[in-house]
Amino acid sequence: MDIEFQRVGKKYESGQEALSQVSFHLQQGEMAFLTGHSGAGKSTLLKLMMMIERQSSGNIMVDGVDLQTLSKAAIPEHRRRVGVVFQNHQLLFDRSVFQNIALPLQVAGADHDQIGKRVRAALDKVGLLDKEKYNPMALSGGEQQRIGIARAVVNKPQLLLADEPTGNLDPKLSAEIMNLFQEFNRVGVTVLVASHDLTLIARMRHRVLTLSHGRMVNDGGFN
Amino acid sequence: MSKRPLPSNQRGATRQTVKPTIKATKTSHSSISMSRYFRQHQDVLTESFVRLLSAPLSSFMTLMVIAIALSLPGGLYVMLKNVQSVTDQWEQQSIISLYLFAELEDTEALALSHKLSSRNDVVSVSYISKEEGLRNFEEVSGYEQILSSLPENPLPIVLQVTPKELVDLSTLFILEGLRTELEAFGGVEYAELDAQWLQRLASFLNFGQRFIYALSTLLVVAVLLIVGNTIRMAVESRREEVLVMKLIGATDAYIRRPFLYMGFWFGIVGGLFAAICILIVSFWVSGPATQLIALYHSDFELQSFDLYEIFLCLVISSVVGVLGSWIAVNRHITEIELQ
Repeated sequence: MDIEFQRVGKKYESGQEALSQVSFHLQQGEMAFLTGHSGAGKSTLLKLMMMIERQSSGNIMVDGVDLQTLSKAAIPEHRRRVGVVFQNHQLLFDRSVFQNIALPLQVAGADHDQIGKRVRAALDKVGLLDKEKYNPMALSGGEQQRIGIARAVVNKPQLLLADEPTGNLDPKLSAEIMNLFQEFNRVGVTVLVASHDLTLIARMRHRVLTLSHGRMVNDGGFN
Repeated sequence: MSKRPLPSNQRGATRQTVKPTIKATKTSHSSISMSRYFRQHQDVLTESFVRLLSAPLSSFMTLMVIAIALSLPGGLYVMLKNVQSVTDQWEQQSIISLYLFAELEDTEALALSHKLSSRNDVVSVSYISKEEGLRNFEEVSGYEQILSSLPENPLPIVLQVTPKELVDLSTLFILEGLRTELEAFGGVEYAELDAQWLQRLASFLNFGQRFIYALSTLLVVAVLLIVGNTIRMAVESRREEVLVMKLIGATDAYIRRPFLYMGFWFGIVGGLFAAICILIVSFWVSGPATQLIALYHSDFELQSFDLYEIFLCLVISSVVGVLGSWIAVNRHITEIELQ
């Protein structure tokens, strides 16, 4: 997925200006980090990409299509092309790991046998193939996060977004998670990871977008 | 935009096995997506029923409230139906009496009598002359002396018309139409249909019907609210799930579906319980009722819900269930928004 922000601004109804004049171009198959102090606008930027929020000004082009032109009814279709990983992983504890990961496929209307294959492939990818029958509550923080990643990628999204995916993890687990993202990127998925773990980001050697008070203050290579 | 698969080393094999089947069935793509659509609905149907069973006590209580609310109008309906069927069996010959104008000549009255007796809907017409009428009246009333002291016979000629149609509740309106028609004939001053008790019963039943309609409407609204409230709580308890669903690209219709099916289950099972209640109660009262009616009439059997009415009850209750759920879900799903 090819994403271009053109002088995008977001002003909330409270008057708070979360983003202003943000421009960048994330090309198909690229991987980048989004960083900045807390409240700099990282989450808002991701929300705009997922169409949870709409921008107040500027344009967001996705594969050449202006998101502003999409109707409310087109939002679910857009979200199915985007996989998202959250810091608090948003897993449902009233069902098994398998059922959690199967959700995006069910929502997209996949066949039963397809679902089984794809869920196991995703679980295999994150190294938790033996945990499919577990309740996610029974898993460790790092494992839960990997389940979250499996759910984000199970429907083969074209864009993978992550909002502080390593926020609660120790450095070793964090590095593992980041490596997973890198692997998905290697097979062509566009990846954008919001994180303030600067040491980890520096090690990964990817493009880094830095936000400060809602403005893009740096767009460049690693360090 | 080309969909980029997310291959892994293991996945290559999977894809190879899947691809040919997709190609082979490309021509019948729409039938495939239709059957998939139906299977999805089937899945949700089962899943929502299982969910209902997972909280058996609270589900049962809700179902019983719905059942009671529905069995009240249903029971009244059965009662009304039985009263109607009893009176339907009591059909009997009725008579329309035509009181002619006093100044009408005998010959004219006779001509009218002939004209009426040739009608298709009339069996016979009996002619009661003024004198005959007076004699009858004297016999019945015993006012012989007073009547004989009158300067002239005050009674009119009366034609007693026996209609072909036997009178019961369903034919009452036909006979009343005939009465109005006969009254409009020249020479007829006044026409009377001797089915007063039936007319009273008919208007009582009319009243009963209206009463049942009003009560039914109120109770159906009550069921709508009960289901709505139950579903509202269900949505609230699955708030997390709704949020995640929205996040991963579920349409509102998809999110709504399990709740609508839940409403459907509440409706149809509640309706079934109501039908069972009515069947049990009518079985219970059928003995005494049959005895009571037998005092007046020989062959009477208490009627309960027949198959068609059970079916109708289930249709109505499931529609009400889905509707109540729809209202609640639409309100609450839009309220749950991603932050």
